[in-house]
Amino acid sequence: MNNRKISNAFSFSFLLILSIIFLFPIYLVFVNSFKSKFNIIGEPFTFPNSDTFVGFENYLNGIESSGLISAFIRTLIITVGSVLAIVIFTSMTAWYLVRVKSKMNKVIYYLFIFSMIVPFQMVMFTMTSICAKLGLNSVIGIIPVYLGFGSGLSVFMFSGFVKGLPREIEEAAMIDGCSPLKSFFYVVFPILKPTAITVAILNAMWIWNDFLLPYLLLGSGNKTLSVAIQLAMQGAYGAIDWGGFMAMLVLSIIPIIIFYLLCQKYIIKGVIDGAVKG
Amino acid sequence: MASITLKNIKKTYEDGVTVIDNLNLDIKDKEFIILVGPSGCGKSTTLRMIAGLEEITDGDLLIGDRVVNTVSPKDRDIAMVFQSYALYPHMSVYNNMAFGLKNRKVPKDEIDKKVRTAAKMLDIEDYLHRKPRALSGGQRQRVALGRAMVREPAVFLLDEPLSNLDAKLRTEMRSRISMLHKELKTTFVYVTHDQTEAMTMGDRIVVMKDGVVQQFDTPQVLYNHPQNVFVAGFIGSPQMNLIDAVIKKNNDSFYADFSGFNINLPKRMSKYLSEYENKKVIFGIRPENMSISNGNSENTIKLHIEIAEMTGADYFLYGNLGDKKIIANVSSNQNIESEKDYFLKLDIDRIHIFDKINERLICD
Amino acid sequence: MEKSLKKYFPVFVLPTFISFVIVFLIPFVLGIYLSFTEFTTVESARWVGVENYIKAFTQDDNFLNALWFTVKFTIVSVITINVSAFGLALILTKALRGTSFFRTVFFMPNLIGGIVLGYIWNLLINSILGIFGYDITYDADYGFWGLVFLLNWQLIGYMMVIYIAGLQNIPNELNEAALIDGASSFSILRNIKIPMVMPSVTICLFLTLTNSFKLFDQNLALTGGAPARETSMLALDIYNTFYGRIGWQGVGQAKAVVFFIIVAIIAFVQLKITGRKEVEH
Repeated sequence: MNNRKISNAFSFSFLLILSIIFLFPIYLVFVNSFKSKFNIIGEPFTFPNSDTFVGFENYLNGIESSGLISAFIRTLIITVGSVLAIVIFTSMTAWYLVRVKSKMNKVIYYLFIFSMIVPFQMVMFTMTSICAKLGLNSVIGIIPVYLGFGSGLSVFMFSGFVKGLPREIEEAAMIDGCSPLKSFFYVVFPILKPTAITVAILNAMWIWNDFLLPYLLLGSGNKTLSVAIQLAMQGAYGAIDWGGFMAMLVLSIIPIIIFYLLCQKYIIKGVIDGAVKG
Repeated sequence: MASITLKNIKKTYEDGVTVIDNLNLDIKDKEFIILVGPSGCGKSTTLRMIAGLEEITDGDLLIGDRVVNTVSPKDRDIAMVFQSYALYPHMSVYNNMAFGLKNRKVPKDEIDKKVRTAAKMLDIEDYLHRKPRALSGGQRQRVALGRAMVREPAVFLLDEPLSNLDAKLRTEMRSRISMLHKELKTTFVYVTHDQTEAMTMGDRIVVMKDGVVQQFDTPQVLYNHPQNVFVAGFIGSPQMNLIDAVIKKNNDSFYADFSGFNINLPKRMSKYLSEYENKKVIFGIRPENMSISNGNSENTIKLHIEIAEMTGADYFLYGNLGDKKIIANVSSNQNIESEKDYFLKLDIDRIHIFDKINERLICD
Repeated sequence: MEKSLKKYFPVFVLPTFISFVIVFLIPFVLGIYLSFTEFTTVESARWVGVENYIKAFTQDDNFLNALWFTVKFTIVSVITINVSAFGLALILTKALRGTSFFRTVFFMPNLIGGIVLGYIWNLLINSILGIFGYDITYDADYGFWGLVFLLNWQLIGYMMVIYIAGLQNIPNELNEAALIDGASSFSILRNIKIPMVMPSVTICLFLTLTNSFKLFDQNLALTGGAPARETSMLALDIYNTFYGRIGWQGVGQAKAVVFFIIVAIIAFVQLKITGRKEVEH
């Protein structure tokens, strides 16, 4: 064995140990979700045995007490609806702002960019009260709210791509008889697809996991997954059903992990592109 | 049937820069017109105004008898081939060509027939289902032509369509486009910065500089009778030798005096030259209108040849006359060596005299 | 072409821009105004000048505590995350076996939401501290380091992926040229790899800085500020001022403005400094 092989073997073992450490928190939640709620706090590190194993009892309790299934569906509707709205509308906006040069468009563009550095707490209270008055505090009503908050990053990313797009293709479409709308959806948007995937992934990750915005706008009446989990803990005051809670955590992680393993290539590419251009 | 008429066309951009002022052109139906000139001369802008991609600030643009200033590109009955081809990257070759017809609600079987006919003419039948990125530059170029052809437009606009191709392909495509023009029998307006393309393809050529038409005529006239110094220098390769000279009078005949040589000017020029006596002019002679002379005879200059390039049939001779570089193109039936002095006889029937101040032709 | 496009402004821009104006622009401007007023609802505002700002800094220890806690947390997190992520990226670009598996594992926590992450770590940390009879709310230091570990776990994989992309962008000829020039592997790291990945460093520093500084969900779920708000970061402290103290909404809004200004300054200064160190391509 030469030096390189030794060093590679060393690196490999190091990474392997680190992977185990990385996976351990998830493993811990997973294992405990099958244990009786009385055995979680006292002996969290033990594997469930015949005394402590409760099968799917925690899962049934967790789902029932927190309305997890409807929370899941709600989160799905909000995420899919908002991501679609963001991808379609911000790509249109970005294209227009790049193609039509005017002072006003420049101002609008820089307002979008500016919004990216403003922390949510700055607008939290005023936004909530305005949106409540406009009736945007519903599962469907929150979609335009996400469009507004997602527009900064998304317009920025789409603009970056459109700037590198030759105008001639759109001119060709125009001569071929397309109206601007048709030319956008038949010619420009298909070319923007890689960026659209990136934008969709970044926004989906954010909206699916978002807590404070749906908590303030939808409250406990229309819980999303994150809100349901927070409320299960916050509302319990000591009488926490740890078993059910573990099951909820597992259930909220599983769809993300499945999604991640299926679309890993796109997600990692999306995150890199998002970072490099953002 | 489509002639194109530009009347007093003016183009000013939003930042206030005027690139074209008072442009007038009459393009006949079925003509192959070339707009040629250095970059920034306004040739592309002119083409794009004809296409409707650039707004016309002032003046009238007519296609046929119709004023089309405010008509949108899709309703002008034109098709355009772009320098970058501008193929739709996500569509197959077939759909690229069919797209414009689909937008015009042409029946499917008719589209199919037109696309296949065009594809056959352009030898791209085998690639109809490929995406543009799977094609070579030459193939993409032909798809771009095909996309314009299927539309059967009254006017074909081509914006430097060959500039992204390598030299060999460019020659091939040149003749292909000329043939296409003959077969399609429509008006072609073709923009290029390459004078060889202009000379070989155009029925008539518009030479432009700084937004102004310098000369609009057939290739023969442009070559033999350039109207000013710019056209003289731009058309022809290698370019015409343009030498500062002074017109002198000896008895009743005129001669041009430069760098110590006196060149007798033909009698037919006399009536134009009388007012230029003792004034500065530009003396123009094309490299191919000089020949090697065995001795110092009349109308001969002595040139120190720095480099003699043999290309086969010809020699290109490079030398200096004062601080002016001179190029001569002579036949290779005798051996010429670099770094030696030779006498060059000028063909005085093929010389051009230009005004030094306004650079216009005085006589040729 | 531009002129004919102009009339399409309502179709292309308005849907996005109206949402943006309603949820961001108006609330932002209104927020600045309200920070100079006393209010319980938006309509009941009464002008009080800079009183809220004075209150935030003088009558409310929590705010300065939270600011100090946030600054400490941000410094520690940014350093630990970036050093670890860059180290892992260096190892993972050495073409070892299993690279893609490791990348998958290290990146995964990034996808889990802040609230869920917080409770996962709450369980883990309490389980460990439970062995000694403590829990995370026993001491603010536990909460601090808990948050540091949590954010490392979440962001190392993310930053690592960006560093890997940056390292893979370095043309191999550059490394080979340096090897021929007799450079040691440390010298290659110091003189080639690090300068060439400066764009990635800029991005990662920016992302970790803003993510750490604006942390909320994880903070809420892991410690909720306990013990006695000692582990409240700025975002959580502002939230508590708004929704936990009646009549203090104006102060909450003033704190939010201060928070915004700090974030804006950090973003600006950081991009200016690291932007200068980037190698021009």
